[in-house]
Amino acid sequence: MSLLFSRGSGLQRRLRQRLDRWLFRVGAPEPGEVHLHQRRVFIIPTRAGLAFGLMLAVLFIASVNYNLSLGFGLTFLLAACAVVDMHFTFRNLAHLTLVPGRVRPVHAGEEAQFTLHLANRGKRDRYAIWLGFTGAGLPDVQQAVDLPGAATRTQLLGLVTARRGWLAAPRVRLQTRFPLGLLRAWSYWQPDMRVLVYPRPEMDAPPLPLEGGGKADGSGGAGHDDFAGIRAYQSGDSLKQLAWRQIARMDGLHGTPLVSKHFEGGGSSELALDFTRLPATLALETRLSRMTRWVLEAEARGLPYAFRLGRFSLAPALGPAHQDACLHELALYGEPEAR
Amino acid sequence: MKLPIFFLPFSKATQRAARPMSRDKADTLLLLLACALVLAPHATQVPPWIALTAGALLLWRGWITFRGNRLPPRWLLLPLAVLTMAGVYTSFKTLLGQEAGVATLVLLLAFKLLEMHARRDLFVVLFLGCFLILAGFFHSQGIGAALLALLATVTLLSAQLSFQYTGAAPPLLKRLRLGLQIVLLAAPLTLLMFFLFPRIQGPLWSLPGDAQTGRSGLSDIMAPGNIAQLALSGDVAFRVRFIDPAPPRSRLYWRGVVLDDYDGRSWKQQSEPGALTPSAIAMQPQGSPLRHQVTLEPHGKRWLFALELPQSPPLMPGLPTTIQANGALTAAQPIHDRIRYTAVSHVDFTLQADAAPASLRRWLALPPGYNPATMAFAARLRSSASDDWQLANAVLRHFREQPYSYTLEPPTLGRHAMDEFLFGTRAGFCEHYASAFVVLMRAAGVPARVVTGYQGGEVNPVDGFLTVRQSDAHAWAEIWLAGRGWVRVDPTAAVAPHRIEVNPARNLRQGGLAGVINLNPAARSWLASLRFNWDAINNGWNQWVLNYSPDKQKSLLESLGFNEPDWRTLAMLLLGGGAIIAALLAWPMLADRRKIDPLQVVYSRFCKTMARQGLARAAHEGPRAYRLRLMHPSCGLSNDKKIAAERFLSCYEAAQYGTVSASPATVHVARLKSLLKQCR
Repeated sequence: MSLLFSRGSGLQRRLRQRLDRWLFRVGAPEPGEVHLHQRRVFIIPTRAGLAFGLMLAVLFIASVNYNLSLGFGLTFLLAACAVVDMHFTFRNLAHLTLVPGRVRPVHAGEEAQFTLHLANRGKRDRYAIWLGFTGAGLPDVQQAVDLPGAATRTQLLGLVTARRGWLAAPRVRLQTRFPLGLLRAWSYWQPDMRVLVYPRPEMDAPPLPLEGGGKADGSGGAGHDDFAGIRAYQSGDSLKQLAWRQIARMDGLHGTPLVSKHFEGGGSSELALDFTRLPATLALETRLSRMTRWVLEAEARGLPYAFRLGRFSLAPALGPAHQDACLHELALYGEPEAR
Repeated sequence: MKLPIFFLPFSKATQRAARPMSRDKADTLLLLLACALVLAPHATQVPPWIALTAGALLLWRGWITFRGNRLPPRWLLLPLAVLTMAGVYTSFKTLLGQEAGVATLVLLLAFKLLEMHARRDLFVVLFLGCFLILAGFFHSQGIGAALLALLATVTLLSAQLSFQYTGAAPPLLKRLRLGLQIVLLAAPLTLLMFFLFPRIQGPLWSLPGDAQTGRSGLSDIMAPGNIAQLALSGDVAFRVRFIDPAPPRSRLYWRGVVLDDYDGRSWKQQSEPGALTPSAIAMQPQGSPLRHQVTLEPHGKRWLFALELPQSPPLMPGLPTTIQANGALTAAQPIHDRIRYTAVSHVDFTLQADAAPASLRRWLALPPGYNPATMAFAARLRSSASDDWQLANAVLRHFREQPYSYTLEPPTLGRHAMDEFLFGTRAGFCEHYASAFVVLMRAAGVPARVVTGYQGGEVNPVDGFLTVRQSDAHAWAEIWLAGRGWVRVDPTAAVAPHRIEVNPARNLRQGGLAGVINLNPAARSWLASLRFNWDAINNGWNQWVLNYSPDKQKSLLESLGFNEPDWRTLAMLLLGGGAIIAALLAWPMLADRRKIDPLQVVYSRFCKTMARQGLARAAHEGPRAYRLRLMHPSCGLSNDKKIAAERFLSCYEAAQYGTVSASPATVHVARLKSLLKQCR
């Protein structure tokens, strides 16, 4: 959409925003279901459409010059077909109902999948509606969707995340050139959707600070002594932890499953993920990344962990709710809670 | 898309793609079918090698599509295209002009089909197709051509929209139906524009010399066999609508060219007599004039036809006409388009009764050394006749009484053509009789001339128009008699009087075909009535579609009750009509609008009212939760408003979510509205 202004200086951007607000009624996110009524659908000839207009002019001039009555007839018929095409293209998009769907949190760097539902409440089939996120710096990726009469289609729009925190869904652009490709009808939708982006888990993070004291580097054998049982092997378990005796005892009929020794610290050696214990020399984001990695690892290994971040603190626990609560805090640490 | 792309066979910008863009073989085959329909009318009009090349390219493309092969590489196509362009240049000696241009477009379309990689290429094909449909009208603008063009347009649009689907495309029939639907919905707007778009009289620039080719009609030379050829053609020469009552058929002589110069073999118009003022042709009319409107088919020559004898040249905007001293009508330019004019003629008149003998001398010239027997015969007749009129009658009697026959296929004649005809073969056609008569008259010293034109015509009982066909072409004679001026003598009538009463070709063919097909209109067979109806349709087509000129547009508006219509009237009607049609097109879209529940309307108004008082409903709040919040003591709502809001929300909840309600929805809405007022 760089029809009038290219994205450039601040003044241009401001003008652009004003124009968007005024002309395309782009503003605050629209909660709930949105109906694309007629005033929200815009239409403009495509380049092929402009060329078609030029062709009509040439046909008209040829008809005048050679006094071809049927030439006039053909020219006017094609022009009228373009007008009909305009109506068809417009109604291919107008009166579509858009419903925001769910979106699952992701880690920074991953692609968030926004679920959008498109409902065709009318009887007429709609074809070739392209939708995609639009905005500065976003790649122009679009997906086509066909909507038979009285049908709903669910479409996933991916958005690559870069940093933790809340990420609001960008503006969605729906457009269509159906049926003849001479005109393009489009509409914008700012769905009231946001995705919580957890910090990126640190690559090559130190092992879990399993000892109660939690040495800075997190290494050491302490905590390995309090054998608490065995559990299924999970990726990330060290080879030293494998319970070889139990493995050997098992029947290898269906392939011997690997089991790890499961250690549990006593009261003093419980796993506590405490932000303040991380070296202050590390960058804030690195520390958050490391905490994220540890949360994931502790969950994966089934080690209940206590969590402390700033004023937020949770008693040792395990499970998706616990993990989500921790990751939620990590994602929004230092961020204004509002969007 | 840039402009020159239409005219460039190969665009540099088109990226090379590994595979043809066809998602679906059927799509491409439909496009090929559309192109074949577009090219069909040109197949017989372009040089045969071009038609064959284009056909071969189409087949090649069809083969590629069918087999799912790659499109040919550019290094193969480019030399081929250049070669064919060189061929076009050699054929026409130019790449400009109409015929060479059409040939070029035909080849471009065929080549473009083999070079389609991007969406843009599809549009190039569409545009080339549209140009070629228009170019098809250079050859023919008949009803058949129009129907073929319409079919090609629908197919082309269907092919175009077939490529616009992104998912699975619906079946072919459904796509064709959508294409047809677009064209049908476009029809009212097309008709509106056709009749109301201000017409501009072309041409905008001088037409290239080749603009009109292959038109048949009366020639300006009467050589043996000319008219006999025409007599076999059923083409329409012109149509006439009589404003005044029509004269009997035997008086329907449509004057064309007057021929004076005889070289022993053919007659021609030696010198063009200067244009004269109407009074200078020295006609004394008798009786009332006959007004009639002539719609003349283009014949590529300058003369016009009118019932003889026109009293003045017809008036046509942009085309000056003159009447010559010999009574022939000519236009300033050759007639390349169908034109219409109103002529005012007299069938009873005296023409140049007091011409000076010197001016008549040119009508006596004969080539020396030809037809000695004819000369001797003329001298014999001269000596036995008391005056010129008796002399003429003696010749006619000779034709009648001697075994002369009338045939469209006369034997060929040698050097002394008139001698052989008069005393040998004695079989001929109107041109032989007129020719022999004029030669005899001149040999006997009577000023005489040959007039060619048409005789008769056929009245269509459906629309009352008189159709004159090429088969009505005729030649007759005029002799100058002292005191009476130029008098028409039709020697053919002496031999074959039925020629003047009914159409010759039809009459003659009856020998062979009478038993099978009876085309005699008097027979009133179903075939004849079919023919009359078809003719009436054709004539209506000509009058309303092909001949729709600025004048016709004006008279249409005047008949609709507009006085002095100008372009403003047209623009107003066009815009008004266009707006109505656009509204009718948009109507189903408006009707498609979501039905809004009046209950929801009043609920959202309530929520807005509350929001203004700082108590906006949260998105997640249902009416019950909202009500509980508003009823809470901490809510700063005044007491009576609280009661109203409480009642409103419970009433709304009951109406919206309650079971079968005792009172109809309208009662609820009315109650809600009154409660809403109390909340303000």
